[in-house]
Amino acid sequence: MKLYNIHTVWLFLVLLTLMTYGLSYMDTNGVAVMLVLMLAAFVKGVMIIREFMELKGVSLLWRLIMYGWLTLVCLAIVAAYLMS
Amino acid sequence: MKKQPKAIPGDLAMWFIIFAELLVFGIFFITYAVVRINNVDMFNHYQLTLNRETGAINTILLITASYFVVRSIHAVKLNKSKISSNYLYISITCGLLFILIKSIEFYDKFSIGIDLSTNTFYMFYFLLTLFHYFHVILGLMILVAVAVKTRKGHYNTDQYHGIETAGAYWHMVDLAWIIMFPLIYVIR
Repeated sequence: MKLYNIHTVWLFLVLLTLMTYGLSYMDTNGVAVMLVLMLAAFVKGVMIIREFMELKGVSLLWRLIMYGWLTLVCLAIVAAYLMS
Repeated sequence: MKKQPKAIPGDLAMWFIIFAELLVFGIFFITYAVVRINNVDMFNHYQLTLNRETGAINTILLITASYFVVRSIHAVKLNKSKISSNYLYISITCGLLFILIKSIEFYDKFSIGIDLSTNTFYMFYFLLTLFHYFHVILGLMILVAVAVKTRKGHYNTDQYHGIETAGAYWHMVDLAWIIMFPLIYVIR
């Protein structure tokens, strides 16, 4: 049996958004909070690509482009924030 | 026997447009983060002047719009055109609410004299969010066109290429915002 479906994916995305909003009020500029927020954005991106765009099971090239874009953007943002 | 990969949903030409759009969004995001390195205090200070509530509400609106686009595609594959178009109209409503909230946010800034030339942070804020705002409008126009055609029964179990193409574009708009929300509104 599949552990998740499109409804639970939507719910999870909303919960991650609420978590992001909640963390925005944490009175800290800490690296840990930044990493958690970027990880949440990355996970949301993966879910959108995989479940909403329905790229699960398509040719590896298309998945590499989409997941590659997401990974590169998130890592570049994290690197820039660590340097600041 | 090796399982063949499934075809990419929707029109291949649209996917090339999506890749190009994501490339531009990606360059914008990375440029914002790099420019921030030498302007941390200014970026952190002015970021707190943004409305995080509307940012979070808009994120949920876009996610919900995307969710109903997916449900719409699933419905049309089951030959349920009317239900499919209803789902699309829910997505369109969510998108319109996003535009309304964002317009109010822009109006609030412009009315107190904040614009692109205020400082580097606001230049990026307006460039990025306006660029995305126009993509949402284009996405809405595509969804409206597809919703009308769906209601008229143009799509069915055997023919749903157009609705998948529209969906792919809308999800791209959603994906870009998923990065933009924490980047501009939250991370300090």
